This record gives sequence, structure tokens and C-alpha cells, in this order.
Amino acid sequence: MLNAERRPSVAERRSSFLSGSLQNSMNIPVVPHLAGIEDPLPETTPDKVDVLIAGTGMVESVLAAALAWQGSSVLHIDKNDYYGDTSATLTIDQISNWVNEVNSGTSSLSVCYTNAKLYISKSLRHSNTYVSRDFGIDLSPKILFAKSDLLSILVKSRVHQYLEFQSLSNFHTYENDSFEKLTNTKQEIFTDQNLSLMSKRNLMRFIKFVLVWDEQPEIWQQYAEKPISDFLVEKFKLENNQLYELIFSIGLCYNLDVKTPNALQRIRRYLTSFDVYGPFPVLYSKFGGPGELSQGFCRSAAVAGSTYKLNSQLLSFNPTTKEAVFKDGSKIKVEERVIVSPTQAPLDSKNIPKQEYEVHRLTCIVEKSCSEWFGEGESAAVVVFPPNSLKSNNRTVVQAFIVGSGTESCAKGTCIWYLSTVETGPRAELDLDAALEALERSIIRESSTDLENENDLIQLGPNGQTIINSVKLGQSFKEYIPREKVQFLLKLYYTQFTSTPPFDVVTPSVFEFSKEWPKDSSLLVPGASDNNIVYTSMPCAEISYDDVITAAKVLYEKIVGSDDDFFDVDFEDEDIPTYQNNGDVQYQNTFEEDDEEDEARDMDIVENEEPMGEMEI
Amino acid sequence: MLQFKLVLLGDSSVGKSSIVYRFVKDSFDEFRESTIGAAFLSQTITLEENNQVIKFEIWDTAGQERYKSLAPMYYRNANAALVVYDVTAPDSLMKAKSWIEELKKKVGNEELVICLVGNKVDICEEDDTKRKIEFEEAKDWANDENLLFYEVSAKTGYNVKEVFQKIGEQLYEYKKAEQANKGTQDNSNITSNIRLQEPQASNPTSCC
Repeated sequence: MLNAERRPSVAERRSSFLSGSLQNSMNIPVVPHLAGIEDPLPETTPDKVDVLIAGTGMVESVLAAALAWQGSSVLHIDKNDYYGDTSATLTIDQISNWVNEVNSGTSSLSVCYTNAKLYISKSLRHSNTYVSRDFGIDLSPKILFAKSDLLSILVKSRVHQYLEFQSLSNFHTYENDSFEKLTNTKQEIFTDQNLSLMSKRNLMRFIKFVLVWDEQPEIWQQYAEKPISDFLVEKFKLENNQLYELIFSIGLCYNLDVKTPNALQRIRRYLTSFDVYGPFPVLYSKFGGPGELSQGFCRSAAVAGSTYKLNSQLLSFNPTTKEAVFKDGSKIKVEERVIVSPTQAPLDSKNIPKQEYEVHRLTCIVEKSCSEWFGEGESAAVVVFPPNSLKSNNRTVVQAFIVGSGTESCAKGTCIWYLSTVETGPRAELDLDAALEALERSIIRESSTDLENENDLIQLGPNGQTIINSVKLGQSFKEYIPREKVQFLLKLYYTQFTSTPPFDVVTPSVFEFSKEWPKDSSLLVPGASDNNIVYTSMPCAEISYDDVITAAKVLYEKIVGSDDDFFDVDFEDEDIPTYQNNGDVQYQNTFEEDDEEDEARDMDIVENEEPMGEMEI
Repeated sequence: MLQFKLVLLGDSSVGKSSIVYRFVKDSFDEFRESTIGAAFLSQTITLEENNQVIKFEIWDTAGQERYKSLAPMYYRNANAALVVYDVTAPDSLMKAKSWIEELKKKVGNEELVICLVGNKVDICEEDDTKRKIEFEEAKDWANDENLLFYEVSAKTGYNVKEVFQKIGEQLYEYKKAEQANKGTQDNSNITSNIRLQEPQASNPTSCC
């Protein structure tokens, strides 16, 4: 709803908007406007802005871009000399500095992260082969579902043009000491020799249901507070391994007790994302994940007129004078809101929301390509370790996101393994270690060339033909003890805290604050440097980007009064291609955003499913 | 068609965007408001010599240069850079030099084509006392540093096309050499990109 307070959007304030009809009738060819044509810019910080944002993480950057396009003036700062904050993609050198800062205990970073341990191998430290910037390590790695709110914003805002995306189709579930590739297409379900006819039918029945689950509450309502595993077993008679795949690989849940509606939502997310761009459910961005996307949104905000200032730290905010003071001595008047990431909180802040939930992360760079795990033409994979699949008897899932050099996030011949768990306390590290060991064993087994070169195994026949001693090969695999070790170039442990519990994408209560500036000064915490500052959440454990847009929208609505015009951008060249070489029209936006239609389409997929017949054979 | 990424650098108000605006739209608007819109601009040229079509994807700094807050994304995979100074502003050449240093630090590409451009010569033509940086001074320095060099006027269009033609020629030479070197290199392992604005038209599992 548009309320009277709403400022005109950037689009509405443009002179071409005001005289739009005239221009159109004159049929002037519309060429996209330039990014950041310089008005004579002031050499100093502007003396007043609508919104000040500190921290260039994912949520803050999306918020900055949304506000900028809506017409608010935004000053966006970061105390670091790089973009990304809690979502940053860092080089080896930057990671070292980051770990030192976390462990120093003197910065607000220590409120958000603890227990950072970094190992860098000699070969990486003093190497001629690698340089620091060959690697881009994400502090909170994420995958992008092909059908998600963030993806449609990326397209709508054109931020996707700054980025490169690749597909990810391989989801592995770790079972019985080996990786099972997920049977995730319907074709695969039907051709899977290991599934009985009855299982196939049950599975199909479930898939058909889950695509429209929210329209059929009668089926699941009595399970609303019960674990998804009960629901799947009792209602759809699914078997254990199917449960595991559905709950942990497809749903990316953390344990069997996850409540039914939560899990159904997540299972559907995967299935509806499949085949949007091709036979895969998720994408990831090249050169790094959220760190790259943050930069993209910051650039978009800058294009819309926001001011960017790295290496700039907020010292204090005074809600009475509305004055924000920075470390370099400069000051600015903030008309509406100050939004701050917990990592960028000023010293003497007393209002940072409690970050009570733990996410434990272990990130490794290995000197192996790990291409065995990737789909054809791809360079990333997800590996899920369900509860009780590891030597540590893990109670909670360990998720691993594997990123190869094809993403250009790491040097050729190397690979980054991102492991994470929401397990708490010392158990978490044991689980991560056990998962790491399992990954290590698996990649050595799968990539070993030792066996093939072994004389005992491969013998040359009299005519030069190869005879493989298969009995020995079988034995050898079973008793295979790795001779080779995975070379670790880097290992990094850390515990990250967040105010968002596992599975909630946002906790709106964190953002609760009154629209009005407080008249009652007793509400202010005496001596605090951060009164009336609104804090964003630290990234949650979620491996997808699903929390980002929701969190940014909640903040946006609090500031603007409504989220109706959240990224309501109209580009002047929307319908008119700028040039027509080879039919190469750049700015078309054909992404389907109509949910209703999409759902109808998804239903069609099921309704017209041919293989139903095949099953009966 | 060959496609290259070109980035603009230089202090605010030297007229970076105006040069591109002149190049892309062949017009100049003195009183243009601060504008917004495209992620970046594209323009194609044809090399005279061999009719090779070259497409530039032009990235403007979008105001992030004011506090030297350009993102790594900006520099990444840049093939060419236009570093602009204002011939009427005394310290702008020095600042251009620091941008070039920054550029070399951030871009690993040895074959990055850098063109130093002195803008606003139209002002000097009207009144020569306005000139604060001599042609020879900038030219000599550019030669020492192995940069292309032009003085231009975004306002009159003087030399603007020539800048992009020259950069295009140079990029083409590099590309030719690179392709000759590559020869039989194996490209089978390259991971391909997905275009987000193009969801699959024919969904194999759906009927329509």
C-alpha cells in the first residue's frame, strides 16, 4: 500500500518520467542511462543521508540497493577494506588477518565468531605455485535455488549481469561409508534398479503431493507438530533410504525430528527448482558466493546513487541529534535509520541482540581437483552426512559444499571443502573432523591412480593386451589402505554465532523497533554508543540464500513503511533493445515471476507424467 | 564478434562517463542529471583493417571511486581500462597515475590494455590559459609506462572514437597472438555458465 509518507521512487523523480509521454511520442531511441554519471560530487562525506548502513554483508547490501532504487539516500560503509563483511569472500592473506582479529578479542568480531583456528601449509605459504588471491574463501558459503526469491531479484535488479553462475546437480548422501548420488530426477527414480515397484509408486505419490502440499492441509495437519519422518513413513510408507534422501539431501534438513511443514517446504523448494534452467536444482556464483553477490548489490546501489566508503568505522550514534560519528572524525546526520551488522557495532555498544545459536564451520583447501564428485561440465557438489553416518555418531547432519577450480574460487588442481553443522559445543568439532576424514577417504579411493599402475593388478598379455586381475582388484579395494594422503593447503575452523535459530530464516523480533524516534529517553541505554541502532542478523546456518531477501524485506518495510516497492525498478530500456547485433539483446527479462502460474506448471509436470504407465510393466 | 570488458577509472568529475556517453550515444549533454539504469553499457566498433567486429562492455565506476571503494568485481577480467584525467585540473594527472598503480595491482592480466586519456581539451581551445597539464608531459609519461595516450573532448567528440578504435586494435592483436599460442589446447573441461535471464524454454518433463 502506498502511504502518503512514501517518497517518490528514483524512477518517478527522473525528468524523463515527468516528461515521459512527450519523449515517447517523439520516438527518441532509448539508450540505457549511464551508471554513475558524475554530478559534481562533494569531496567529503555528504552531511546528511536518509539511511546509514554499516557492513556490506549480503542482507545489508540487498537492503542498500533496494533503498537506493526506492529513492532513499544511503551511505553504506564497512570498517574493512573489502566488501562482504559476514558474507565476504576472502583471499588467503585476508583470511589470516580475519582470524587474528577474531582471536584478538578486542573487536566486535569476537562477539560474532570464536574459536578460529587456522592452518596454512608451508607449500601454500611459501609457494611459487599459488598466490593469495588465487583463492576466494567464503565466510558463509551458500547455494542458490533456481526458483527462489533471491534469484528473481537478481534478474529484476540486473545484478545478475555482474555475476557468472554455474549449475550444481550432484547431491551426494553419505551412507555406509560411501557416497550415494541422489536419484533426483523422475527418470532416475523409474530406472533405479534398487527400488521396488511399490517404492517407486509411493515415492511418486509423495512427490506429486509435496508440490502442492500447502493446498492439502488435510493430509498433513495432524503431523504439523510431529517429525517429518513419522509423516513420510505413516502416510506414504517410504523406506529408510528414501527418507534420508528426501529429508537430508533434497530437504537439506539437520535431523529426523524436523517438523513436517518445515521439511515439506524445503523438499518442495528443491523439486520446483529442478529444470528451471536445466536438469539441476541449484546454482552458485563464480569467484565466490555471497561475497560476490554482496559486491553486485553494492554496485547496484552505487549506480542508484548510494555512497560507498570502505575502511570506515562507526564510532557512535546519537539518537537525539541524529548524528553519527566515524573513526576518521567525520560526522553525518541520519534522517531515518542506522542499520548495523553486529560485526560492525561501535565500541561501547550495549544493544547488540544476543547471538545465541552456533554454527560450526570447517573450511579446507585440498590439493586435489575432486572432479570425481562433480557432474559433467560442473565444478561443485553438495555432500550430506546424515545423523549417525559418521564415526563420531553424529546426532546432527554435517553438510559439505565442495567447490572446484572451475568456479575460479581456487587455483587449478585444488578444491575447497566447506563443512558445517549446527551441532553445539565440542561435539561439533568432532563431527566436522569425522566428516572431513570421510571426505578424505572417499576422494583418495575415487581418484587413486595407484591401483591402475600397480604391476600385480594390471598385467600385459603376450600380445601386449592388458589383463586385469579382477579378484585381486576386488580385494584390493576392500582392504585398500590409502598410501596417498590428501594434501591440505589450508584448514580453518571457526564457530559463528547467529540470532537466527536453525530453520527459521529470520527472526523478525530482532528487527522490532518503533518507527518514531523515541521521545522517552529512558528507553535509551545510558552510556551506550549504539542507542536506536537497528542490528541485522548474522548469517544463519542455512546453506541456501533463502533467508536473505526475507530479512532485507523486513528491514526495508520497517524503514520505508511498506515493502510494495521493494526493487520496483523500471529501467528506461526495458522494452527496447539497445543494439541488435546478432540478435544479441541484452536486457530482456523473461524470468517467470508469477507464483500462481508456476505452481500450475509444476502441477502439470505431475499430471502429465508419462512414466506412471511404465511402472505398471 | 569479439567481446571485451573495459573499465573506466579516474577521479570524479574528470568526465569519465561523458566520454563513454559520447562514444555510445554520440551526443553530449552538459546538463544531464545524474542518471541511472543499465548495469553497464555496450557498444560495438568495426576495425577498418579487417572488418573485425568488437564489442565493448563498458563498466563505469558508479561513484564508488570517490572513497577508493571499488569492488574486486569491477576490475575482474577487465581487458582494457580507460584512465581519465582533466587537462584543466592540475593534480588530476597525478591521481590518474595512482589509479594506474591500483589497476596494475588489482588486475593480474599482463595483456591489459591501458589508455590514458586527458579530457576537456575543448576548454583549452577556447582559452589556453585554462590548460594545466601539457600534452607533452602526459604523453612522455604514458610512453614510459607503455600506455596508449590521447587527449579528447567528450563535449565536441574530438578523438573519442579514435580512443576506442585504438584500444580495439590493440585488443585484437593480443587476441590473435593468444589464439595462435593456444592452438590445440584442451578446452573440454571448461565449466559453462548459466544465463539467469533465460530459464529453460522447453521443460523436458512438462508437456508444453
